[in-house]
Amino acid sequence: MGYFELIIACIFVNNILLAQFLGNCPFLGTSKKMETAIGMAMAVIFVLVVAGTITWVIYTYILVKFGLVYLRTMAFIVVIASLVQFVEMFLKKSIPALYAGLGIFLPLITTNCAVMGVCVLNIDKEFTFLQSLVASFFYAAGFGLALILFAGLRERILLARVPKPLQDTSIALVTAGMISLAFFAFQGMV
Amino acid sequence: MPKTLVQEFTKGLWQELPPFRLVLGLCPTLGVTTSMENGLGMGIATTFVLVGSNLLISMLRSMIPPKVRIACFIIIIAAFVTIVELLMQAYTYPLYLKLGVFIPLIVVNCIVLGRAEAFAYKNKVSLSMADGMGIGLGFTMALGALGAVRELLGHGSVTVWGDFSYNLSASFPSFQPFSFMVQAPGAFICLGLMLCLINAVGD
Amino acid sequence: MNEMVKMVVVLTVLSSVAGGVLAAVNKGTASQIEAQQLTFVKGPAIEAILAGSSINPIQNRVKISDGDVERSFFVGKFDGKTNTIAFEEFGKGFGGDIGVMIGVNLDSDQLVGAAVTVHTETPGLGAKAKDDPSLVSQFKGLSVKEPAKVTKDGGKITSISGATITSRAVCDAVAKAMASYQKMKPQLQQEIQKVGK
Repeated sequence: MGYFELIIACIFVNNILLAQFLGNCPFLGTSKKMETAIGMAMAVIFVLVVAGTITWVIYTYILVKFGLVYLRTMAFIVVIASLVQFVEMFLKKSIPALYAGLGIFLPLITTNCAVMGVCVLNIDKEFTFLQSLVASFFYAAGFGLALILFAGLRERILLARVPKPLQDTSIALVTAGMISLAFFAFQGMV
Repeated sequence: MPKTLVQEFTKGLWQELPPFRLVLGLCPTLGVTTSMENGLGMGIATTFVLVGSNLLISMLRSMIPPKVRIACFIIIIAAFVTIVELLMQAYTYPLYLKLGVFIPLIVVNCIVLGRAEAFAYKNKVSLSMADGMGIGLGFTMALGALGAVRELLGHGSVTVWGDFSYNLSASFPSFQPFSFMVQAPGAFICLGLMLCLINAVGD
Repeated sequence: MNEMVKMVVVLTVLSSVAGGVLAAVNKGTASQIEAQQLTFVKGPAIEAILAGSSINPIQNRVKISDGDVERSFFVGKFDGKTNTIAFEEFGKGFGGDIGVMIGVNLDSDQLVGAAVTVHTETPGLGAKAKDDPSLVSQFKGLSVKEPAKVTKDGGKITSISGATITSRAVCDAVAKAMASYQKMKPQLQQEIQKVGK
Protein backbone atom coordinates (compact mmCIF):
# COMPACT_ATOMS: atom_id res chain seq x y z
CA MET A 1 0.00 0.00 0.00
CA GLY A 2 1.40 3.39 -0.97
CA TYR A 3 1.68 6.23 1.49
CA PHE A 4 -0.98 8.29 -0.24
CA GLU A 5 -3.54 5.51 0.12
CA LEU A 6 -2.45 5.01 3.71
CA ILE A 7 -3.02 8.70 4.48
CA ILE A 8 -6.47 8.75 2.88
CA ALA A 9 -7.37 5.51 4.64
CA CYS A 10 -6.28 6.83 8.03
CA ILE A 11 -8.03 10.20 7.85
CA PHE A 12 -11.24 9.35 6.01
CA VAL A 13 -11.98 5.73 5.22
CA ASN A 14 -10.97 4.20 8.54
CA ASN A 15 -11.52 7.34 10.58
CA ILE A 16 -10.58 6.38 14.08
CA LEU A 17 -13.66 7.94 15.71
CA LEU A 18 -16.39 7.42 13.18
CA ALA A 19 -15.49 4.12 11.55
CA GLN A 20 -13.44 2.31 14.21
CA PHE A 21 -15.16 3.74 17.30
CA LEU A 22 -11.96 4.43 19.17
CA GLY A 23 -11.71 7.43 21.47
CA ASN A 24 -15.39 8.12 21.89
CA CYS A 25 -15.25 9.19 25.54
CA PRO A 26 -13.20 12.35 24.88
CA PHE A 27 -15.15 12.76 21.62
CA LEU A 28 -18.36 13.31 23.55
CA GLY A 29 -16.66 14.85 26.56
CA THR A 30 -14.64 17.64 24.97
CA SER A 31 -16.82 18.53 22.02
CA LYS A 32 -19.21 20.90 23.78
CA LYS A 33 -16.98 23.86 23.09
CA MET A 34 -14.85 24.54 20.03
CA GLU A 35 -11.94 25.73 22.16
CA THR A 36 -11.57 22.55 24.18
CA ALA A 37 -12.09 20.45 21.07
CA ILE A 38 -9.14 22.11 19.34
CA GLY A 39 -6.97 21.72 22.45
CA MET A 40 -7.87 18.07 22.78
CA ALA A 41 -7.21 17.42 19.10
CA MET A 42 -3.74 18.97 19.36
CA ALA A 43 -2.91 17.02 22.52
CA VAL A 44 -4.00 13.76 20.91
CA ILE A 45 -1.96 14.42 17.75
CA PHE A 46 1.15 15.09 19.80
CA VAL A 47 0.75 12.17 22.19
CA LEU A 48 -0.25 9.75 19.47
CA VAL A 49 2.70 10.44 17.18
CA VAL A 50 5.17 10.01 20.01
CA ALA A 51 3.38 7.02 21.53
CA GLY A 52 2.87 5.31 18.16
CA THR A 53 6.54 5.39 17.30
CA ILE A 54 7.85 4.55 20.77
CA THR A 55 5.54 1.57 21.19
CA TRP A 56 6.49 0.31 17.72
CA VAL A 57 10.18 0.44 18.61
CA ILE A 58 9.60 -1.24 21.97
CA TYR A 59 7.47 -3.95 20.44
CA THR A 60 9.81 -4.74 17.56
CA TYR A 61 13.16 -4.44 19.30
CA ILE A 62 12.36 -5.57 22.84
CA LEU A 63 9.19 -7.62 23.10
CA VAL A 64 9.57 -9.64 19.91
CA LYS A 65 13.28 -10.13 20.40
CA PHE A 66 12.96 -11.56 23.88
CA GLY A 67 9.75 -13.51 23.25
CA LEU A 68 7.70 -11.30 25.57
CA VAL A 69 4.90 -10.56 23.11
CA TYR A 70 2.30 -11.41 25.75
CA LEU A 71 3.39 -8.34 27.74
CA ARG A 72 2.28 -6.05 24.89
CA THR A 73 -0.80 -4.59 26.60
CA MET A 74 1.13 -3.93 29.79
CA ALA A 75 4.12 -2.32 28.08
CA PHE A 76 1.99 -0.09 25.85
CA ILE A 77 -0.20 1.26 28.60
CA VAL A 78 2.79 2.04 30.81
CA VAL A 79 4.49 3.94 27.97
CA ILE A 80 1.33 5.89 27.19
CA ALA A 81 0.61 6.70 30.83
CA SER A 82 4.09 8.05 31.47
CA LEU A 83 4.03 10.01 28.24
CA VAL A 84 0.77 11.70 29.17
CA GLN A 85 2.21 12.58 32.56
CA PHE A 86 5.11 14.23 30.79
CA VAL A 87 2.87 16.22 28.45
CA GLU A 88 0.81 17.35 31.42
CA MET A 89 3.86 18.65 33.27
CA PHE A 90 5.10 20.34 30.12
CA LEU A 91 1.80 22.14 29.46
CA LYS A 92 1.41 23.19 33.10
CA LYS A 93 4.81 24.91 33.00
CA SER A 94 4.82 26.40 29.51
CA ILE A 95 1.21 26.92 28.34
CA PRO A 96 -0.88 27.34 31.52
CA ALA A 97 -3.83 28.75 29.57
CA LEU A 98 -4.20 25.60 27.50
CA TYR A 99 -3.64 23.49 30.59
CA ALA A 100 -6.50 25.25 32.37
CA GLY A 101 -8.74 24.77 29.35
CA LEU A 102 -8.15 21.06 28.99
CA GLY A 103 -8.40 20.53 32.73
CA ILE A 104 -9.63 17.08 33.58
CA PHE A 105 -9.36 15.72 30.05
CA LEU A 106 -5.60 15.63 29.78
CA PRO A 107 -5.15 12.73 32.19
CA LEU A 108 -7.99 11.09 30.32
CA ILE A 109 -5.79 10.77 27.22
CA THR A 110 -4.27 7.83 29.08
CA THR A 111 -7.61 6.10 28.90
CA ASN A 112 -8.28 7.37 25.39
CA CYS A 113 -8.75 4.23 23.37
CA ALA A 114 -7.68 6.06 20.24
CA VAL A 115 -4.09 6.34 21.47
CA MET A 116 -3.80 2.77 22.70
CA GLY A 117 -5.87 1.53 19.76
CA VAL A 118 -3.63 3.03 17.09
CA CYS A 119 -0.54 1.62 18.81
CA VAL A 120 -2.10 -1.85 18.75
CA LEU A 121 -3.36 -1.45 15.17
CA ASN A 122 0.13 -0.48 13.97
CA ILE A 123 1.39 -3.78 15.30
CA ASP A 124 -1.58 -5.88 14.14
CA LYS A 125 -1.31 -4.54 10.60
CA GLU A 126 2.43 -5.28 10.56
CA PHE A 127 3.39 -1.76 9.58
CA THR A 128 7.01 -0.76 9.10
CA PHE A 129 8.48 2.03 11.22
CA LEU A 130 7.76 4.74 8.66
CA GLN A 131 4.25 3.44 8.02
CA SER A 132 3.56 3.48 11.77
CA LEU A 133 4.76 7.06 12.00
CA VAL A 134 2.59 8.16 9.09
CA ALA A 135 -0.42 6.17 10.30
CA SER A 136 -0.12 7.52 13.85
CA PHE A 137 -0.04 11.11 12.66
CA PHE A 138 -2.89 10.81 10.20
CA TYR A 139 -5.11 8.72 12.45
CA ALA A 140 -4.69 11.50 15.01
CA ALA A 141 -5.39 14.11 12.34
CA GLY A 142 -8.57 12.23 11.45
CA PHE A 143 -9.49 12.26 15.12
CA GLY A 144 -8.92 16.01 15.26
CA LEU A 145 -10.94 16.63 12.10
CA ALA A 146 -13.92 14.63 13.33
CA LEU A 147 -13.74 16.21 16.79
CA ILE A 148 -13.64 19.76 15.45
CA LEU A 149 -16.44 19.17 12.92
CA PHE A 150 -18.53 17.65 15.67
CA ALA A 151 -17.84 20.50 18.11
CA GLY A 152 -19.08 22.96 15.50
CA LEU A 153 -22.33 21.05 15.18
CA ARG A 154 -22.77 20.70 18.90
CA GLU A 155 -22.44 24.43 19.49
CA ARG A 156 -25.40 24.83 17.16
CA ILE A 157 -27.44 22.11 18.82
CA LEU A 158 -27.18 24.02 22.09
CA LEU A 159 -29.34 26.72 20.51
CA ALA A 160 -31.92 24.30 19.17
CA ARG A 161 -34.97 23.10 21.02
CA VAL A 162 -34.49 19.40 21.71
CA PRO A 163 -37.09 17.12 23.40
CA LYS A 164 -36.13 16.45 27.00
CA PRO A 165 -35.18 12.75 26.85
CA LEU A 166 -33.05 13.38 23.77
CA GLN A 167 -31.03 16.18 25.34
CA ASP A 168 -27.27 16.16 25.82
CA THR A 169 -25.54 12.83 25.16
CA SER A 170 -28.45 11.27 23.34
CA ILE A 171 -28.74 13.93 20.63
CA ALA A 172 -24.95 14.09 20.48
CA LEU A 173 -24.80 10.39 19.61
CA VAL A 174 -27.43 10.74 16.90
CA THR A 175 -25.52 13.71 15.46
CA ALA A 176 -22.31 11.69 15.54
CA GLY A 177 -24.19 9.03 13.59
CA MET A 178 -24.99 11.59 10.90
CA ILE A 179 -21.33 12.64 10.58
CA SER A 180 -20.37 9.00 10.53
CA LEU A 181 -22.84 8.51 7.69
CA ALA A 182 -21.13 11.32 5.78
CA PHE A 183 -17.74 9.70 6.31
CA PHE A 184 -19.26 6.41 5.24
CA ALA A 185 -19.27 7.76 1.70
CA PHE A 186 -15.48 7.36 1.65
CA GLN A 187 -15.87 3.60 2.05
CA GLY A 188 -14.38 1.69 -0.83
CA MET A 189 -12.21 4.59 -1.94
CA VAL A 190 -9.01 2.81 -1.01
CA MET B 1 -24.48 6.65 54.25
CA PRO B 2 -23.23 3.06 54.17
CA LYS B 3 -25.05 0.88 51.72
CA THR B 4 -25.71 -2.83 51.83
CA LEU B 5 -24.14 -5.40 49.56
CA VAL B 6 -27.36 -5.83 47.64
CA GLN B 7 -27.67 -2.09 47.05
CA GLU B 8 -24.10 -1.87 45.75
CA PHE B 9 -24.83 -4.75 43.41
CA THR B 10 -28.16 -3.56 42.05
CA LYS B 11 -27.14 0.04 41.46
CA GLY B 12 -25.09 -1.16 38.50
CA LEU B 13 -28.20 -2.63 36.94
CA TRP B 14 -30.25 0.52 36.74
CA GLN B 15 -29.23 3.66 38.69
CA GLU B 16 -25.67 3.66 37.39
CA LEU B 17 -26.17 1.36 34.42
CA PRO B 18 -23.17 1.72 32.10
CA PRO B 19 -22.95 2.92 29.36
CA PHE B 20 -26.35 4.62 29.57
CA ARG B 21 -26.31 6.21 33.01
CA LEU B 22 -22.57 6.52 33.36
CA VAL B 23 -21.62 7.64 29.88
CA LEU B 24 -18.31 5.76 29.93
CA GLY B 25 -16.86 2.87 27.99
CA LEU B 26 -18.44 3.90 24.72
CA CYS B 27 -15.76 2.54 22.42
CA PRO B 28 -16.44 -1.16 22.97
CA THR B 29 -20.14 -0.39 23.22
CA LEU B 30 -20.18 0.99 19.71
CA GLY B 31 -17.43 -1.13 18.24
CA VAL B 32 -18.36 -4.71 19.06
CA THR B 33 -22.15 -4.68 19.18
CA THR B 34 -22.63 -5.74 15.58
CA SER B 35 -24.15 -8.93 17.00
CA MET B 36 -25.59 -10.00 20.33
CA GLU B 37 -22.95 -12.70 20.68
CA ASN B 38 -20.07 -10.25 20.37
CA GLY B 39 -21.74 -7.84 22.78
CA LEU B 40 -22.22 -10.51 25.44
CA GLY B 41 -18.69 -11.84 24.94
CA MET B 42 -17.21 -8.38 25.37
CA GLY B 43 -19.39 -7.76 28.42
CA ILE B 44 -18.26 -10.96 30.10
CA ALA B 45 -14.58 -10.24 29.40
CA THR B 46 -14.97 -6.74 30.83
CA THR B 47 -16.80 -8.08 33.89
CA PHE B 48 -13.93 -10.47 34.60
CA VAL B 49 -11.42 -7.61 34.50
CA LEU B 50 -13.69 -5.35 36.53
CA VAL B 51 -14.29 -7.85 39.33
CA GLY B 52 -10.65 -8.95 39.42
CA SER B 53 -9.19 -5.46 39.52
CA ASN B 54 -11.79 -4.20 42.02
CA LEU B 55 -11.01 -7.15 44.29
CA LEU B 56 -7.25 -6.73 44.16
CA ILE B 57 -7.24 -2.93 44.43
CA SER B 58 -9.60 -3.05 47.38
CA MET B 59 -7.41 -5.64 49.10
CA LEU B 60 -4.23 -3.66 48.52
CA ARG B 61 -5.74 -0.23 49.12
CA SER B 62 -3.90 0.41 52.39
CA MET B 63 -0.57 -0.43 50.74
CA ILE B 64 -0.89 1.66 47.59
CA PRO B 65 0.56 5.17 48.11
CA PRO B 66 -1.95 7.82 46.90
CA LYS B 67 0.56 9.54 44.63
CA VAL B 68 1.20 6.54 42.43
CA ARG B 69 -2.24 4.99 42.75
CA ILE B 70 -3.17 5.48 39.08
CA ALA B 71 0.04 3.76 37.96
CA CYS B 72 -0.71 0.86 40.32
CA PHE B 73 -4.30 0.60 39.07
CA ILE B 74 -3.10 0.53 35.49
CA ILE B 75 -0.60 -2.23 36.15
CA ILE B 76 -3.22 -4.35 37.93
CA ILE B 77 -5.83 -3.77 35.22
CA ALA B 78 -3.34 -4.46 32.43
CA ALA B 79 -2.40 -7.74 34.09
CA PHE B 80 -6.03 -8.86 34.22
CA VAL B 81 -6.62 -7.79 30.63
CA THR B 82 -3.64 -9.82 29.46
CA ILE B 83 -4.95 -12.85 31.35
CA VAL B 84 -8.33 -12.47 29.62
CA GLU B 85 -6.57 -12.04 26.28
CA LEU B 86 -4.61 -15.25 26.74
CA LEU B 87 -7.58 -17.22 28.05
CA MET B 88 -9.78 -16.10 25.17
CA GLN B 89 -7.10 -17.07 22.67
CA ALA B 90 -6.87 -20.45 24.31
CA TYR B 91 -10.55 -21.28 24.65
CA THR B 92 -12.73 -19.03 22.47
CA TYR B 93 -10.49 -18.30 19.51
CA PRO B 94 -13.20 -17.32 16.96
CA LEU B 95 -14.65 -14.78 19.41
CA TYR B 96 -11.14 -13.49 20.09
CA LEU B 97 -10.66 -12.87 16.37
CA LYS B 98 -14.00 -11.06 16.07
CA LEU B 99 -13.44 -8.74 19.03
CA GLY B 100 -9.90 -8.09 17.81
CA VAL B 101 -8.34 -4.84 18.95
CA PHE B 102 -11.10 -4.24 21.51
CA ILE B 103 -9.78 -6.87 23.92
CA PRO B 104 -6.46 -5.19 24.70
CA LEU B 105 -8.48 -1.97 24.80
CA ILE B 106 -10.37 -3.11 27.90
CA VAL B 107 -7.32 -1.72 29.66
CA VAL B 108 -8.31 1.81 28.66
CA ASN B 109 -12.03 1.29 29.24
CA CYS B 110 -12.98 4.24 31.42
CA ILE B 111 -15.45 2.10 33.37
CA VAL B 112 -12.75 -0.15 34.77
CA LEU B 113 -10.37 2.62 35.81
CA GLY B 114 -13.31 4.74 36.94
CA ARG B 115 -14.58 2.05 39.32
CA ALA B 116 -11.07 1.45 40.67
CA GLU B 117 -10.60 5.15 41.44
CA ALA B 118 -14.11 6.02 42.57
CA PHE B 119 -15.04 2.87 44.43
CA ALA B 120 -12.55 0.08 45.03
CA TYR B 121 -9.82 2.36 46.40
CA LYS B 122 -12.21 3.66 49.08
CA ASN B 123 -14.30 0.64 50.02
CA LYS B 124 -14.18 -2.79 51.64
CA VAL B 125 -13.40 -5.91 49.64
CA SER B 126 -16.92 -7.35 49.78
CA LEU B 127 -18.53 -4.08 48.70
CA SER B 128 -16.02 -3.65 45.87
CA MET B 129 -16.77 -7.14 44.62
CA ALA B 130 -20.50 -6.43 44.63
CA ASP B 131 -19.89 -3.14 42.84
CA GLY B 132 -17.71 -4.78 40.19
CA MET B 133 -20.19 -7.57 39.57
CA GLY B 134 -23.16 -5.21 39.40
CA ILE B 135 -21.54 -2.78 37.00
CA GLY B 136 -20.13 -5.66 34.95
CA LEU B 137 -23.48 -7.40 34.70
CA GLY B 138 -25.19 -4.14 33.78
CA PHE B 139 -22.59 -3.51 31.08
CA THR B 140 -22.98 -7.05 29.72
CA MET B 141 -26.76 -6.67 29.57
CA ALA B 142 -26.52 -3.29 27.88
CA LEU B 143 -24.07 -4.57 25.28
CA GLY B 144 -26.16 -7.68 24.73
CA ALA B 145 -29.32 -5.61 24.30
CA LEU B 146 -27.69 -3.16 21.90
CA GLY B 147 -26.14 -6.03 19.97
CA ALA B 148 -29.49 -7.82 19.80
CA VAL B 149 -31.31 -4.73 18.47
CA ARG B 150 -28.66 -4.04 15.85
CA GLU B 151 -28.38 -7.66 14.74
CA LEU B 152 -32.15 -8.06 14.60
CA LEU B 153 -32.73 -4.95 12.52
CA GLY B 154 -29.59 -5.31 10.45
CA HIS B 155 -29.74 -9.01 9.62
CA GLY B 156 -33.34 -9.87 10.46
CA SER B 157 -32.37 -12.60 12.92
CA VAL B 158 -30.47 -13.11 16.15
CA THR B 159 -28.31 -16.12 17.00
CA VAL B 160 -26.36 -16.65 20.20
CA TRP B 161 -23.80 -19.45 20.26
CA GLY B 162 -26.03 -21.55 18.07
CA ASP B 163 -28.37 -22.36 20.96
CA PHE B 164 -30.79 -19.53 20.78
CA SER B 165 -32.06 -17.98 17.63
CA TYR B 166 -34.94 -15.84 16.60
CA ASN B 167 -35.83 -14.94 13.07
CA LEU B 168 -37.72 -11.70 12.67
CA SER B 169 -38.11 -12.01 8.92
CA ALA B 170 -39.95 -15.30 9.41
CA SER B 171 -42.43 -13.81 11.89
CA PHE B 172 -43.02 -10.66 9.88
CA PRO B 173 -42.61 -11.46 6.19
CA SER B 174 -42.95 -7.80 5.24
CA PHE B 175 -39.87 -6.85 7.31
CA GLN B 176 -36.79 -6.00 5.29
CA PRO B 177 -33.45 -6.09 7.14
CA PHE B 178 -31.51 -2.84 6.73
CA SER B 179 -27.79 -3.37 7.02
CA PHE B 180 -27.37 0.29 7.99
CA MET B 181 -27.85 -0.83 11.60
CA VAL B 182 -24.81 -3.11 11.70
CA GLN B 183 -22.57 -0.53 10.07
CA ALA B 184 -20.76 2.33 11.78
CA PRO B 185 -23.37 5.12 11.54
CA GLY B 186 -26.09 2.78 12.78
CA ALA B 187 -24.12 2.17 15.97
CA PHE B 188 -24.16 5.84 16.97
CA ILE B 189 -27.79 6.39 16.09
CA CYS B 190 -29.00 3.19 17.72
CA LEU B 191 -27.14 3.96 20.95
CA GLY B 192 -28.42 7.54 20.92
CA LEU B 193 -32.01 6.42 20.54
CA MET B 194 -31.67 3.75 23.21
CA LEU B 195 -30.26 6.34 25.58
CA CYS B 196 -33.23 8.57 24.78
CA LEU B 197 -35.61 5.71 25.55
CA ILE B 198 -33.92 5.00 28.88
CA ASN B 199 -34.02 8.69 29.79
CA ALA B 200 -37.71 8.84 28.96
CA VAL B 201 -38.50 5.74 31.05
CA GLY B 202 -36.21 6.78 33.90
CA ASP B 203 -37.80 10.16 34.30
CA MET C 1 12.07 10.45 51.53
CA ASN C 2 10.30 7.60 53.22
CA GLU C 3 7.28 8.09 51.03
CA MET C 4 9.46 8.09 47.94
CA VAL C 5 11.00 4.74 48.91
CA LYS C 6 7.58 3.27 49.57
CA MET C 7 6.32 4.41 46.19
CA VAL C 8 9.23 2.86 44.36
CA VAL C 9 9.02 -0.37 46.34
CA VAL C 10 5.28 -0.77 45.80
CA LEU C 11 5.53 -0.12 42.06
CA THR C 12 8.49 -2.47 41.63
CA VAL C 13 6.90 -5.28 43.61
CA LEU C 14 3.60 -4.85 41.80
CA SER C 15 5.19 -4.87 38.36
CA SER C 16 7.32 -7.90 39.04
CA VAL C 17 4.42 -9.86 40.54
CA ALA C 18 2.24 -8.93 37.55
CA GLY C 19 5.03 -9.93 35.16
CA GLY C 20 5.50 -13.24 36.94
CA VAL C 21 1.80 -14.07 36.94
CA LEU C 22 1.52 -13.24 33.25
CA ALA C 23 4.54 -15.36 32.40
CA ALA C 24 2.92 -18.27 34.22
CA VAL C 25 -0.44 -17.80 32.49
CA ASN C 26 1.31 -17.44 29.15
CA LYS C 27 3.17 -20.67 29.71
CA GLY C 28 0.06 -22.48 30.87
CA THR C 29 -2.02 -21.47 27.87
CA ALA C 30 0.68 -21.59 25.18
CA SER C 31 0.00 -25.08 23.87
CA GLN C 32 -3.76 -24.57 23.97
CA ILE C 33 -3.44 -21.28 22.05
CA GLU C 34 -1.24 -22.94 19.47
CA ALA C 35 -3.81 -25.70 18.99
CA GLN C 36 -6.62 -23.15 18.63
CA GLN C 37 -4.72 -21.11 16.08
CA LEU C 38 -3.94 -24.24 14.12
CA THR C 39 -7.58 -25.33 14.19
CA PHE C 40 -9.03 -22.02 13.08
CA VAL C 41 -6.34 -20.57 10.85
CA LYS C 42 -4.67 -23.57 9.27
CA GLY C 43 -7.33 -26.15 10.10
CA PRO C 44 -9.48 -25.66 6.98
CA ALA C 45 -6.45 -25.98 4.68
CA ILE C 46 -5.13 -29.04 6.48
CA GLU C 47 -8.54 -30.68 6.39
CA ALA C 48 -8.88 -30.02 2.68
CA ILE C 49 -5.52 -31.59 1.92
CA LEU C 50 -5.60 -34.52 4.31
CA ALA C 51 -9.32 -35.26 3.99
CA GLY C 52 -10.10 -38.85 4.91
CA SER C 53 -7.22 -39.27 7.34
CA SER C 54 -8.07 -41.72 10.11
CA ILE C 55 -6.13 -39.68 12.70
CA ASN C 56 -6.44 -35.96 13.46
CA PRO C 57 -3.47 -34.27 11.75
CA ILE C 58 -3.54 -31.28 14.10
CA GLN C 59 -3.20 -33.41 17.21
CA ASN C 60 -0.65 -35.64 15.51
CA ARG C 61 1.82 -32.99 14.49
CA VAL C 62 5.57 -33.35 14.71
CA LYS C 63 8.10 -30.57 15.06
CA ILE C 64 11.45 -30.71 13.32
CA SER C 65 14.03 -27.96 13.47
CA ASP C 66 15.26 -26.71 10.14
CA GLY C 67 18.25 -24.47 10.71
CA ASP C 68 17.04 -21.76 13.08
CA VAL C 69 13.32 -22.29 12.68
CA GLU C 70 11.15 -25.06 13.98
CA ARG C 71 8.59 -26.38 11.51
CA SER C 72 5.36 -28.16 12.25
CA PHE C 73 4.40 -31.11 10.07
CA PHE C 74 0.85 -32.41 10.23
CA VAL C 75 0.64 -36.14 9.79
CA GLY C 76 -2.24 -37.97 8.15
CA LYS C 77 -2.96 -41.70 8.17
CA PHE C 78 -4.51 -43.36 5.12
CA ASP C 79 -5.32 -47.06 4.75
CA GLY C 80 -3.42 -47.81 7.96
CA LYS C 81 -0.22 -46.11 6.80
CA THR C 82 1.09 -42.84 8.18
CA ASN C 83 2.74 -41.74 4.98
CA THR C 84 1.29 -38.31 4.24
CA ILE C 85 2.29 -35.00 5.73
CA ALA C 86 1.18 -31.41 5.31
CA PHE C 87 3.17 -28.29 6.12
CA GLU C 88 3.16 -24.59 5.41
CA GLU C 89 5.46 -22.36 3.40
CA PHE C 90 5.27 -18.68 2.44
CA GLY C 91 5.63 -16.74 -0.79
CA LYS C 92 5.75 -13.00 -1.43
CA GLY C 93 2.45 -11.93 -2.96
CA PHE C 94 1.02 -8.64 -4.17
CA GLY C 95 -0.21 -7.49 -0.77
CA GLY C 96 2.19 -9.36 1.53
CA ASP C 97 3.05 -12.90 2.50
CA ILE C 98 0.87 -15.72 1.24
CA GLY C 99 0.82 -18.90 3.27
CA VAL C 100 0.41 -22.13 1.35
CA MET C 101 -0.15 -25.48 2.99
CA ILE C 102 1.06 -28.40 0.88
CA GLY C 103 0.56 -32.09 1.37
CA VAL C 104 3.14 -34.68 0.28
CA ASN C 105 2.99 -38.46 0.13
CA LEU C 106 6.30 -39.79 1.44
CA ASP C 107 6.10 -43.08 -0.46
CA SER C 108 5.50 -41.65 -3.90
CA ASP C 109 7.09 -38.20 -3.38
CA GLN C 110 4.02 -36.69 -4.99
CA LEU C 111 1.97 -33.72 -3.88
CA VAL C 112 -1.45 -34.74 -2.61
CA GLY C 113 -2.76 -31.22 -2.56
CA ALA C 114 -2.18 -27.55 -1.75
CA ALA C 115 -4.31 -24.84 -0.14
CA VAL C 116 -3.85 -21.19 0.75
CA THR C 117 -3.97 -20.49 4.50
CA VAL C 118 -3.44 -16.75 4.90
CA HIS C 119 -3.18 -13.93 2.41
CA THR C 120 -3.79 -10.20 2.00
CA GLU C 121 -4.42 -10.18 -1.75
CA THR C 122 -6.96 -8.05 -3.59
CA PRO C 123 -10.52 -9.35 -3.23
CA GLY C 124 -11.83 -10.69 -6.54
CA LEU C 125 -8.37 -11.02 -8.11
CA GLY C 126 -5.51 -12.43 -6.06
CA ALA C 127 -7.89 -13.57 -3.36
CA LYS C 128 -9.17 -16.16 -5.82
CA ALA C 129 -6.06 -18.17 -4.96
CA LYS C 130 -7.84 -19.12 -1.76
CA ASP C 131 -11.48 -19.08 -2.82
CA ASP C 132 -11.23 -20.66 -6.23
CA PRO C 133 -9.61 -24.12 -6.30
CA SER C 134 -8.56 -23.92 -9.97
CA LEU C 135 -5.03 -22.75 -9.15
CA VAL C 136 -4.13 -24.92 -6.18
CA SER C 137 -5.75 -28.06 -7.61
CA GLN C 138 -3.13 -28.07 -10.37
CA PHE C 139 -0.42 -28.98 -7.87
CA LYS C 140 -2.07 -32.27 -7.04
CA GLY C 141 -0.09 -35.22 -8.40
CA LEU C 142 2.98 -33.13 -9.14
CA SER C 143 6.25 -34.82 -8.21
CA VAL C 144 8.41 -32.92 -5.73
CA LYS C 145 11.25 -32.96 -8.27
CA GLU C 146 9.24 -31.16 -10.94
CA PRO C 147 9.49 -27.37 -11.00
CA ALA C 148 6.43 -25.54 -9.70
CA LYS C 149 6.17 -22.61 -12.10
CA VAL C 150 3.48 -20.74 -13.98
CA THR C 151 3.30 -21.18 -17.76
CA LYS C 152 4.75 -17.72 -18.36
CA ASP C 153 7.91 -18.82 -16.56
CA GLY C 154 8.08 -22.10 -18.46
CA GLY C 155 6.16 -24.25 -15.99
CA LYS C 156 2.91 -26.15 -16.13
CA ILE C 157 0.71 -24.14 -13.81
CA THR C 158 -1.92 -21.94 -15.44
CA SER C 159 -2.07 -18.72 -13.45
CA ILE C 160 -5.26 -16.94 -12.35
CA SER C 161 -6.08 -14.32 -14.95
CA GLY C 162 -5.36 -10.84 -13.63
CA ALA C 163 -3.32 -12.17 -10.73
CA THR C 164 0.03 -13.30 -12.08
CA ILE C 165 1.97 -12.03 -9.09
CA THR C 166 -0.27 -13.95 -6.70
CA SER C 167 -0.02 -17.10 -8.79
CA ARG C 168 3.76 -16.78 -8.93
CA ALA C 169 3.89 -16.31 -5.17
CA VAL C 170 1.87 -19.48 -4.62
CA CYS C 171 4.20 -21.40 -6.99
CA ASP C 172 7.16 -19.91 -5.21
CA ALA C 173 5.85 -21.09 -1.86
CA VAL C 174 5.22 -24.57 -3.23
CA ALA C 175 8.71 -24.70 -4.78
CA LYS C 176 10.29 -23.67 -1.49
CA ALA C 177 8.24 -26.27 0.32
CA MET C 178 9.34 -28.98 -2.14
CA ALA C 179 12.97 -28.03 -1.59
CA SER C 180 12.74 -28.20 2.17
CA TYR C 181 10.81 -31.45 1.92
CA GLN C 182 13.60 -33.08 -0.07
CA LYS C 183 16.17 -31.80 2.40
CA MET C 184 14.27 -33.00 5.44
CA LYS C 185 12.83 -36.26 4.16
CA PRO C 186 15.14 -38.59 6.16
CA GLN C 187 14.30 -36.82 9.43
CA LEU C 188 10.63 -36.78 8.52
CA GLN C 189 10.52 -40.49 7.90
CA GLN C 190 11.99 -41.19 11.33
CA GLU C 191 9.64 -38.81 13.10
CA ILE C 192 6.41 -39.98 11.54
CA GLN C 193 7.15 -43.59 12.47
CA LYS C 194 6.64 -42.48 16.09
CA VAL C 195 3.23 -41.06 15.22
CA GLY C 196 2.14 -44.31 13.67
CA LYS C 197 2.41 -46.15 16.96
